[in-house]
Amino acid sequence: MDFGSYELDAAVYDEMFLPDGTPREHSRALHDALRGLSTAELASIQSRVTHSFVSEGITFTVYGSEEAEERIIPIDCVPRIVSADEWRLLETGLTQRVRAVNRFLADVYGDAHVLADGVLPEDLVHGCPQYRPEMRGFSAPHGVWAAICGSDVVRTNDGFLVLEDNLRVPSGVSYMIANRKAVKSSLRRLYRRCRVREVEHYGRLLRRTLVELAPEGCHDPRIALLTPGVHNSAFYEHVFLAHEIGAELVEGRDLLTRNGLVYMRTTEGLRRVDVIYRRVDDDFLDPLVFREDSLLGVAGLLEAYRLGGVSLVNAPGTGVADDKSVYPYVPDLIRYYLGEDPLLANVPTHICRRPEDLELTLDNLENLIVKQVGGSGGYGMLVGPHATPAEREAYAKELRANPAGYISQPVLELSSAPCVIDGRAQPRRVDLRPFVLTGRETRLVPGAFSRVALREGSLVVNSSQGGGGKDVWVLDE
Amino acid sequence: MILSRNAEDLYWMGRYLERTEHLCRLLSCQVETLVDRPVREINFGWRRIYDSLHRRPPGPELAFATSEDDDYTLADSFTLADDLTFESANPDSIRNGLACARENARQVRHRISSEMWTCLNAAWLRFSARTIDDIWKTAPEAFYVAVARDLDTFSGVAQTTMYRDEGWRFLQLGRFAERAQLMIALLLAQLALVREGREGAVGGDWPGLLRICQALDAYARCHGAEISADRVLDLLVTDVLLPRSLCRAVEMASGALNAAALGPGPTAEARQTAHDLAQATRGRWSGRPSLDERADRLRRLQQKCRTLHDLVLAAYVGYRVDGAPAR
Repeated sequence: MDFGSYELDAAVYDEMFLPDGTPREHSRALHDALRGLSTAELASIQSRVTHSFVSEGITFTVYGSEEAEERIIPIDCVPRIVSADEWRLLETGLTQRVRAVNRFLADVYGDAHVLADGVLPEDLVHGCPQYRPEMRGFSAPHGVWAAICGSDVVRTNDGFLVLEDNLRVPSGVSYMIANRKAVKSSLRRLYRRCRVREVEHYGRLLRRTLVELAPEGCHDPRIALLTPGVHNSAFYEHVFLAHEIGAELVEGRDLLTRNGLVYMRTTEGLRRVDVIYRRVDDDFLDPLVFREDSLLGVAGLLEAYRLGGVSLVNAPGTGVADDKSVYPYVPDLIRYYLGEDPLLANVPTHICRRPEDLELTLDNLENLIVKQVGGSGGYGMLVGPHATPAEREAYAKELRANPAGYISQPVLELSSAPCVIDGRAQPRRVDLRPFVLTGRETRLVPGAFSRVALREGSLVVNSSQGGGGKDVWVLDE
Repeated sequence: MILSRNAEDLYWMGRYLERTEHLCRLLSCQVETLVDRPVREINFGWRRIYDSLHRRPPGPELAFATSEDDDYTLADSFTLADDLTFESANPDSIRNGLACARENARQVRHRISSEMWTCLNAAWLRFSARTIDDIWKTAPEAFYVAVARDLDTFSGVAQTTMYRDEGWRFLQLGRFAERAQLMIALLLAQLALVREGREGAVGGDWPGLLRICQALDAYARCHGAEISADRVLDLLVTDVLLPRSLCRAVEMASGALNAAALGPGPTAEARQTAHDLAQATRGRWSGRPSLDERADRLRRLQQKCRTLHDLVLAAYVGYRVDGAPAR
């Protein structure tokens, strides 16, 4: 692999190289192995990796054009290395974060001390569309509201930063495993030499977590994964996970409630479901409580949950903790609930509901990224430096009309990692999404889905916006 | 125990796969006739295919038995093959059959073996990379044989890798219920064409029918080279040793249904219907029935097959939940 034209930028942390161009210690084996590969060999490896996704039908669906289209996420065959020390920091930092978030959720739907003590403005929380008043007074099993969290972590020259916590229906974990399978079979000797930690046991950990969260007294729960259906962009992942954890893959139309219990329609009649790993957003979960036009949910589901007849994972209402307007307060929540300093920092964030932050944002639109507080997937976002003056002006108008609906952040120089582009090594920006599981205890598999902005110069890693993926190799001690 | 929706998906997956494979065999035999058979025989073949699918060919009605023009016939054949193979607006095309089977498989990917999914997905990718122009230039029959072989491979992979739970039974049930209906439809189309008195010029193409049903070798072994309509029909309908015979298909469907658990709907009626079908097709039909009488019997069997389909879905999928057992 030719690193001759691999350009380092002092403002950008490179995952493989030090600023002087020598490989970082933990990346040396990978670097040397890659350098020993000819362009043809590399192309063949890349083609094998891509082919394995095509032939196994590991796809996501893109909407917006005339008809939905099945696509694969382009996977770059060069893994991203995370050293043992780096992983330890991520693991402890994310565990700390999720603990605080769960305490916050229990509190905000309970006695709401956090609001009374003024840690967060009450109107911010109650005005958040993800805050579900229906969940007030409810206690989630073992205090776990967010059992599955996929936080997006980025790295800059200042270290790791948490960009956002995905607490509703985080996706991407199937790609973590599929990437590993594809890449390790193509780079076998190197994989063995690097002593990479395994990720394939994620399904076992997830199942254990779900079993732990089963209703009281249920020791061998029947688990179902609730999917919006085959047209959902993450359907492959739903099938994959259902298979991994031995769950039934159900849609809302397969379920019904009776006397506070949930049943699924089988060929032998109705069978009770004890735990539902739901991959359907709150809004669509139960037409009797949330959106009444929902065809994806189950009438009476929330009542069954509140009565303890079924466990829902993640709990409805967790979205309030990953809303972009609440995100800036997570470090304060860690201090408030745990009495600890955050191990992982947030990205500096301007909350546009504050007049001074709004003014600062409007004055610096060309330097900032502005996001809708309820948005996700890279949609509805303004990347100031890449927007035209007309786009910025149009966005500013929306911002002025509804300041509370937006936050802004500096344009982060996400770290880069080498990717195979046109047969050569080229730096591309990456992020990292590890998955944190919380049942009676918190568990992480040592790995993550790393998204890559494959377009030259792009900072947007979302798969719906032209992003790709990378395998992440967490090295053993 | 299996979700009703998954059972339905597997059932339909079986049906679509069988339908697609059947059409591949029809087309493979049909395009072979383009090489050296007279125009009348070629047209007979196209009519047999379209009639058995209860479908009208695109464009003006086939000039069956009237045109002797080779160029027209070949041009028509190209259009008809495209309609039956790649046309996405034709619900009966191979393309749609394969796409629907894959779509069903996608929904129950966790219920079938990963080898089955990969095999079917690969078959779809190979198929969807081709067009009628590609295949027409060289040997189109080789293309149909290759697609049919892909589907045979899938069956073999399913046979050796799929867990024999309820899912397997519904896949089998769909496959054999469809096979029975396709065989009946094909035989009825054949008999209707023969009855129209048009067989004079082409002799009813009974050998072609045997080839389509992969029964030519078996026929030769049982009866030698002399081909008679009665013997062909006996073989295709009542010979349990012939893998694709009607009686074997209904027997297999009945077996799959009996092996499935009792459903909350009319399972007993469904089983009885399958049993009746098996009884009605087993053993040579007595009294040397005429071709018309055979057609009448086949029509009654066809109706029973439709009833079986409805009963299966009512027993396991569309049942009322009010009185359904809950555990």
